[in-house]
Amino acid sequence: MIEIDTSSFIPFYEQIKQQIKTRISLGVVKPGEPLPSIRELATILIINPNTVARAYRELEREGFIYTRKGKGCFVTDDSTALIKKERTLILNQVFDGAIEEAKKLNLSSSEIKKIFERRLGLKTEVIKKGERK
Amino acid sequence: MKEILAIKNLSKSFGKKMVLENFNLIMEKGKVYGLLGINGEGKTTLIRMIMGVIPPDDGEIFFKNKKISFRDDSYKKEIGFIAEESIFYSWMSIKELLSFNASFYPKWNTRKANAYLEKFSLDPKTRIRHLSRGMKLKLGLIVTLASEPEFLILDDPTSGLDVPTRHDFLKEIIKELSEAGTTILFSTHIVHEIEGIIDNLGILKFGNLILDEDFHELKNSVKRVLLTSDESLEDKITIDGVITQKINGTQCEIVVYPWTEEKKKKIEALNLNNMEVKPMNLEEIFISFAS
Repeated sequence: MIEIDTSSFIPFYEQIKQQIKTRISLGVVKPGEPLPSIRELATILIINPNTVARAYRELEREGFIYTRKGKGCFVTDDSTALIKKERTLILNQVFDGAIEEAKKLNLSSSEIKKIFERRLGLKTEVIKKGERK
Repeated sequence: MKEILAIKNLSKSFGKKMVLENFNLIMEKGKVYGLLGINGEGKTTLIRMIMGVIPPDDGEIFFKNKKISFRDDSYKKEIGFIAEESIFYSWMSIKELLSFNASFYPKWNTRKANAYLEKFSLDPKTRIRHLSRGMKLKLGLIVTLASEPEFLILDDPTSGLDVPTRHDFLKEIIKELSEAGTTILFSTHIVHEIEGIIDNLGILKFGNLILDEDFHELKNSVKRVLLTSDESLEDKITIDGVITQKINGTQCEIVVYPWTEEKKKKIEALNLNNMEVKPMNLEEIFISFAS
């Protein structure tokens, strides 16, 4: 279910976009499947249909969905690949930020690598424990 | 842009009190316009003049490019109006009220009215005086929506109602909006309820709109900026568009509109320890502008 956090500072159309992308990446909606109509979603979320239309318009421009006249909006075949690419870009930014922070602390490249490997090890352990349960 | 309502240089005073002074407003077809203002700033006076209930002292109002004159009723069948207290004849039954209203509106949609009665579980035989406040609002909504208005004026419709009733009401408004592309002027005290609904925001103060903007643009460009420095920031902030400013020695909080790259550079040139730029929601925007 798509939800709007009205207390959030993220614009509503942006929240809708993000949540639809998440649903596509989780496979909740698959390529070729329809999204709820603008009218439907606006009524459920109690927000202006123009806002939903804006979110859909941007998703279409970015290649995640396409419109069939009179039929509504559908998920494109390329969408999952696009989302993966987008996520990689976000990930790069997060790593860049972490590296910058580390540089501020005058850490060397090998020290940064060590920290990264240690964190990765810790996280992998947590994930493994979770799987065993 | 297709304008549906245009208000030009409207002025109105009651006795010595000037309520509106050279007020201007243009509303675009199919958009939702949020009108905010603290009590006594003239929201209801404005709406009453649009509805032709009281005459302006000066200025003109155009509905669909036609000038409205006081006591002209011809345009009213195209306008829906829901206020905090809907005035109905209390001795009528719901059924009587609906057929009474149907006679005024050429586009009256009986099927729609009946569908809503069922949806809201209202018995057509009930007398109006036996209805609760929430039920009366729903009845007002039925009367208004069944008349298929092109333009809808909501004057604080949900104040004093419980959350579920308000929710139901807004849901039907949104449905109408997306199905019929109705233009809406929404005035309310429950500011956050229109945050997701409005396209444009107007804030009324001192008889005029101190703000009249596309709401999405506004939300992107108005920022709360928190500054800390080693030295006093008194008299140091010289950028334009500072809406509010709170200085507490070396700490300072400003609301800036619009917040631009150029202003950011100017602020950064001050001797600062830290600068935080935060977005604002409608409630905070309203408080900053109205106070």
